[in-house]
Amino acid sequence: MKKLFALLLVVTLMATLFVGVGSAEGEFDWKAYAGTKIQVMFNQHNYQKAITDYGKLEAFQELTGIEVEYSVTPEENYFDKLSVALSSKGGDPDIFMTGAYQVWDYASAGYMEPLDEYITDPDYNFADFYPGVAGTLAWDCIPGHAVGSGHQWALPMGYELNDIAYNKKYFDENNIAVPKTTGELLELSKSLKGWHGGENDYGIAVRGTRNWATIHPGYMSLFATWGAKDFEVEDGKLVCKLDSPEAIAMTDYWVKLIVEGSSPQWATFTWYEAGANFGAGVAAILYDATCNAYFQSYPADASAEAGNFGWIPGVVPDDSGLTENDIKSNVWVWSMGMNANSDNKGAAWLFLKYFTGPEFMLFSGTEGACADSPRASVAESEEYKAIVGQQFNYLESLDALLPNATIQFTPQPYFFETTTEWAATLQDLVQAYRDTGSCDTEGAMKALKAKLDIAVEDLVCE
Amino acid sequence: MTAQKRLYSILKNAGLAIYAIFALFPLLWMVLLTFKSDAEMLTTTFVFHPTLVNYEEVLLKTDYFRYIKDSIIVAGGAVIISVLAGVPAAYALARYNFKKKEDIAFQILSFKFAPEILVVLPLYMIYDKLGLYDTYFGLIWVYQLISMPLIIWVVRGYFEDISVEIEHAAQVDGYSWWQIFFKILVPLIRPGLVASALLCFIFAWNSFTFPLLLAGIKIEPITVAATKYLAQNTVHYGQMAVAATFSALPSIIFAICIQKHLVRGLSFGAVKG
Repeated sequence: MKKLFALLLVVTLMATLFVGVGSAEGEFDWKAYAGTKIQVMFNQHNYQKAITDYGKLEAFQELTGIEVEYSVTPEENYFDKLSVALSSKGGDPDIFMTGAYQVWDYASAGYMEPLDEYITDPDYNFADFYPGVAGTLAWDCIPGHAVGSGHQWALPMGYELNDIAYNKKYFDENNIAVPKTTGELLELSKSLKGWHGGENDYGIAVRGTRNWATIHPGYMSLFATWGAKDFEVEDGKLVCKLDSPEAIAMTDYWVKLIVEGSSPQWATFTWYEAGANFGAGVAAILYDATCNAYFQSYPADASAEAGNFGWIPGVVPDDSGLTENDIKSNVWVWSMGMNANSDNKGAAWLFLKYFTGPEFMLFSGTEGACADSPRASVAESEEYKAIVGQQFNYLESLDALLPNATIQFTPQPYFFETTTEWAATLQDLVQAYRDTGSCDTEGAMKALKAKLDIAVEDLVCE
Repeated sequence: MTAQKRLYSILKNAGLAIYAIFALFPLLWMVLLTFKSDAEMLTTTFVFHPTLVNYEEVLLKTDYFRYIKDSIIVAGGAVIISVLAGVPAAYALARYNFKKKEDIAFQILSFKFAPEILVVLPLYMIYDKLGLYDTYFGLIWVYQLISMPLIIWVVRGYFEDISVEIEHAAQVDGYSWWQIFFKILVPLIRPGLVASALLCFIFAWNSFTFPLLLAGIKIEPITVAATKYLAQNTVHYGQMAVAATFSALPSIIFAICIQKHLVRGLSFGAVKG
């Protein structure tokens, strides 16, 4: 009996060993969650299209046996929809697109699953992400603390820096030099009124709606280059710094740039209008996300002026002594996060792993027209450079900006409230300047500072 | 006709013509946009190269008709439920005296007071638990907040305008309550019922917040889906104009079909004599 038992034991152990070797040396088990159904919420974007419109989602479903249901919502309404879904804590959607600023809100509220353990998956190669990009999605949830430490809350799909795109064809034909300073940019923008023969043509397109999206692209990048800050931590509390001389001077300049060199409809301009005006040849210059102008230029039929653009990193304030190397850029990262209340976290991770993995990202960065890939293996590949590098000075501008690119805002969960107030002040100043030819920028920024100090007074930064 | 009267007539018609142009110009502009390419959208006004590419993109290359079908099902379903439940409720509120009658009537009306965005989070949680999220029935149910109060309050006014002696006379003639209701009362309230049903249909059709937040994967009414023509790369104004123009058609057709009831329905009944 003992012999029989020993024999059985040996056979069992050997069988276990063989199975174990088979698992360890075999391929990753993509079928581990076959039969599971997950829900994904996408913002309408090229990043989403690369997943849903090229057969890749079907390939994922076939590979894993996981059924994926998804919704696509344009950005203007996307975060309203997402916020309602997450705050219900019902578990849907399992995966959702988000940005870094939203992480400060959602992670603080406990809606997001920390991904630290998932990304240690050896097949995933998390180290391949540019640290500065992936780091924007890591935060310790302490207001005032910089991003880059704490849990990894989401994984990048693509990032956006902010620089200046211009109609190179027109500039070359008319021997117009690209601006290097803020003064040159203002004078050039003024002089470009009617540049394309249309009475509505104007110099520079920037965003202007009364929300955070107006502050975070060109405005915040120049704001940081100027040396201004939104908040600082003093005695464990956030203190607004929008009344600093740098903040006032920069805002005063921006108001003049809008009134004298931009569209009269500026206050209604979102990403879409600013980019569309530039692509249609109505605006000669666009100070916005790098890929906004890129999407107007690629593919060749993307817009009326596609293929005519060039890029520069930005401008420096007059007489500041700064050079191109000192130009700063704010960063936006479209990413995907996992719902902390999801009942299907294993399947949800497979979705994240597949669609933020190097293989898919090489596809999205090239055939999927998703510029600004966050993975080094993709961004530095010949295939990627052969496509994105066709745009004049696009990659070079990115390279120049990357060392000084980060999220220029101070992370805090009231980000959307504070930036909405900020945009409202900007709109009021522009309207006053338009109506009377002058505006009290200093008074408005001091009033804004007082308001924002009250808005964040309950936040404890430790 | 004297010269003064002729001048008055000319001025009156000119005034009406100017108002008609003012009122219809946005619609005309929308139709014009449907024939413009994206390239000419921002650079031309009335002189451009007309194209059908927007119609082709929207009607042939997207799920446009699925969105329209979803809208018809949820808006039409909401109106049917509202009529079936609302008309008897309106009759009860008009004819019977019971405790807290006016409080109940006011509470029904108050459903229309609350901004949709305020009530949608608890609704979302309830829908999620009950499995009503992203279903036809879920949207039809929530649309009752929009359509039911309107039907009840308009039709109640009509019932109150009908003399109760008519019902008594019919009872004397041997009619049952159901016969009185369907053969006498319903024909009398028809103008108001039709007008309020049309308004309910339009309100339900145009609803945006509820379908945005309580549906979106399997069910996508046209109001929510139309925003997709605001693409990532650019604003496809032409495609949005096609989507908006076509989405207005069911309401217009519905209105034309019931036109004869509409003017009477909107002007009678709501105000008691």
